[in-house]
Amino acid sequence: MKTNETRNAAWKGIALRGWQALRQPLVATIFGLLVGAAVILACGHNPIEVYKEMFEKSFFKPYYLFSTLTRATPIIICAMAVGMSWRAGYINLGVEGQMVTGTLVATVVALFMPGPPILVAIIAWLAGMAAGALYALLPSVLTWKFNVSMVITTLMLNYVANYIASYFVTYPLKDTSGDGLALQTPEIAAEMRLPRLSSTSTFNAGFIVAILVVVFMVFITRKTVFGYESKMGGFNPSFARYGGTKQVRVMLITMALAGAIASMAGSAEVFGLKYRYADGMLSSTSYAWTGLQAALIADLDPVGMFFISIFLSGLQIGGSAIQRSLGIPLEIATIIQCCITLFVSVKLVIRFVKKPKPAASAKGGAQA
Amino acid sequence: MKHITKVYGSLYANDDVHLTLDKGEILAVVGENGAGKSTLMKILYGLEQPTSGEIYLNGELQHFRSPHDAIAKKIGMVQQHFMLLEPCTVAENIVYGREPRKNGLFFDRSAAIRITEELCDKYGLHIDPRRLVKDCPVGLQQRVEILKVLYQDADIIIFDEPSAVLTPQEVGELLATMRKLAQMGKSIIIITHKLHEVMTVADRVMVMRLGKYIQEMPKSETSIEEMSFLMVGRHIVEREVPPQETTGTVLDVQDLVLAGPDEKNILDHFSIHVDAGEIVGIAGVSGNGQSELIQCLTGLLPPTSGQVVLRGQNMAGRSVGDIRSAGCACIPEDRYLWGCAAKASLTETSIMAHQYKPELSRHGLLNSKGAKGFTQKLLNDYDVRNSGQSQKAGELSGGNIQKLIVAREMEQNSPLLIAAEPTRGVDIGAIEFIHNKLLQKREKGDAVLLISSELTEIMSLSDRIYVIYEGHAAGEFRKADATEEALGILMMGGTLHENE
Repeated sequence: MKTNETRNAAWKGIALRGWQALRQPLVATIFGLLVGAAVILACGHNPIEVYKEMFEKSFFKPYYLFSTLTRATPIIICAMAVGMSWRAGYINLGVEGQMVTGTLVATVVALFMPGPPILVAIIAWLAGMAAGALYALLPSVLTWKFNVSMVITTLMLNYVANYIASYFVTYPLKDTSGDGLALQTPEIAAEMRLPRLSSTSTFNAGFIVAILVVVFMVFITRKTVFGYESKMGGFNPSFARYGGTKQVRVMLITMALAGAIASMAGSAEVFGLKYRYADGMLSSTSYAWTGLQAALIADLDPVGMFFISIFLSGLQIGGSAIQRSLGIPLEIATIIQCCITLFVSVKLVIRFVKKPKPAASAKGGAQA
Repeated sequence: MKHITKVYGSLYANDDVHLTLDKGEILAVVGENGAGKSTLMKILYGLEQPTSGEIYLNGELQHFRSPHDAIAKKIGMVQQHFMLLEPCTVAENIVYGREPRKNGLFFDRSAAIRITEELCDKYGLHIDPRRLVKDCPVGLQQRVEILKVLYQDADIIIFDEPSAVLTPQEVGELLATMRKLAQMGKSIIIITHKLHEVMTVADRVMVMRLGKYIQEMPKSETSIEEMSFLMVGRHIVEREVPPQETTGTVLDVQDLVLAGPDEKNILDHFSIHVDAGEIVGIAGVSGNGQSELIQCLTGLLPPTSGQVVLRGQNMAGRSVGDIRSAGCACIPEDRYLWGCAAKASLTETSIMAHQYKPELSRHGLLNSKGAKGFTQKLLNDYDVRNSGQSQKAGELSGGNIQKLIVAREMEQNSPLLIAAEPTRGVDIGAIEFIHNKLLQKREKGDAVLLISSELTEIMSLSDRIYVIYEGHAAGEFRKADATEEALGILMMGGTLHENE
């Protein structure tokens, strides 16, 4: 009897926690969809029909569901990269740059390294991760040594990465065999590509990579001392410092992991979908920023980020579907997505404002 | 307030509590941490809604949905943690929320200053309206809070643990202020667990324990002993600390200097030593370098020069981690800044600085079972009232989070424990408990460095006492030689010789 009661109480506790975790995103989603409905009405359409069409052509028909999951793959991985750094208190806005750098390096290795294709592919992924990690370490070292704001450096380094990548695909790496106007590298060898998981669509094993990254993220956050220390540093850096955690080390590992994860988002796109690096393929699609929004909406919870990334991807797929069939602009999806993020962020902003200041750094105390 | 009940989950924070307050009266609400005093006041101030029960004001039933409603009915509250805009002036803080305006649009700064001066004159609370709040000492900041409440024209003023952060002199002034306000017809509720303050200032006392109303009586008919018995539910015994031999130096601080932003050193050739098996107290008015001393000793701040020798090793300028592994634990002076993270669970709070111990982690992998078991042990052994390990540290009451932090640092079983303000803002029962733990540590033959602004605490626990004044050790006493007067003179920067 007693055990039954305690079990019931435990279930109630879990249900309550779950509700508390989901309440904010759910309410925000409903508000976001309402704002979207108002815009659709203003365009002279029936919102219910439009939404029906939109969700049918993103989640409920197999072909569209596969498109949604394909698009979600890099978004999920980017969300994990954002979550990795943000939960430790480092506002890394440079996931896009880290992804572009890593992907470019991975593509170059895949194109030019001799050897058995499977091995080359593995080395290419690893090289990409190393490059992404190094690119993330650059702003971290600036923060460590010169106390530069990471928000600014990571954001600016996105442009640096994008322009460098543009240079490489415009000149040295340009595919001269095909369309002369397309700024892209040649295709990677067929044996290196990730297998397709569906015969009718482009849905590929990159999604499995994304799931593995989520699992890795859950493992790091729940099961490791590093995950614990970085989380405490994110909650209250003074507390972590007082407890004797090596904060510089935690920061460098955090950012390197974030950069490595970011590179996998682009590698999944190249090896699973496009088979080549094309100029702007990772920036014009806003994968990193959608991932960032997913991370914000899910409040940095890995499993939550996974599902919200899929949801946002579905909005984008559904949005382009209704543009094709009903002539409603694609931007509807963007409006809904941004409204959801806004409604969720209201809470997030309040949280960051309330965060205690790291007291000693103001007095010029060393970080370590 | 009638039949007030407030339930959080399965916890009755208030269980059928009554409270009455007459005009011009000072009512003291006393009780241990978690007795439900603060909850009751939050309900009165509209911050929380009662699960059941009613509030009547001058015979009228009230429904307070937020502090706005309470303020409109002339109820004001002086919070324990000040809610002030630090970079702004005193006047700006006082009028904030109901600013005087020019042409209905622009903030009228000179009117704000005039209003503040009028308020100061009316209530005899003097302060420079143009001064920035961040430049004011804590006592003056509290005065700003009081003036703010008076500007809102409150008739009922609630003080939540008002003396927790004040120096003895400031406490005296505060109590005088309360008396004056009561004479002017304001009704005052003071939440506290400092019983001698209750005896000085209150007209009537109400005791709460574990969420329940226990008893109330006029001050004249009660005593400190009776109140503490009612609060804790048992008698508190006077402590006799037997003398004890010390065995070898654990901490030896030589010529410690920390340069300040200007010419003056924050720590100025500070030298002390702490031996195994003794409690060494550092007395001083807060702001004389105590915080920086703690930070230099624990590795949070690198000292400019000097030696911090811990068990034969000079640790000056080494990292917090190194100093901790060399055998130093620390109860921090500010439990919310250093001691915990408000959003961390109790498990996460408990394992800080224990996370590399083999029972908690191996090869960088956390042992969740070990962490849970360890946390449960701390929670049980130190009587931390909680609603489960997933509760957030920020949701515990001040005394309970302090007990958890004390537990965590005690369990380091380190040769040296630095205890900074270990009982700041906690109740009698918890103070006694924490003091006993410190004495047990001394009995075990460990060294304890006690830094506190509570002179009685220093005097009752310490074997030796140093006085810190403007960053240097102004005097050293053995327990038998220390008198409150002598310490007090040195704390204020005087010299004993002159006074004799």
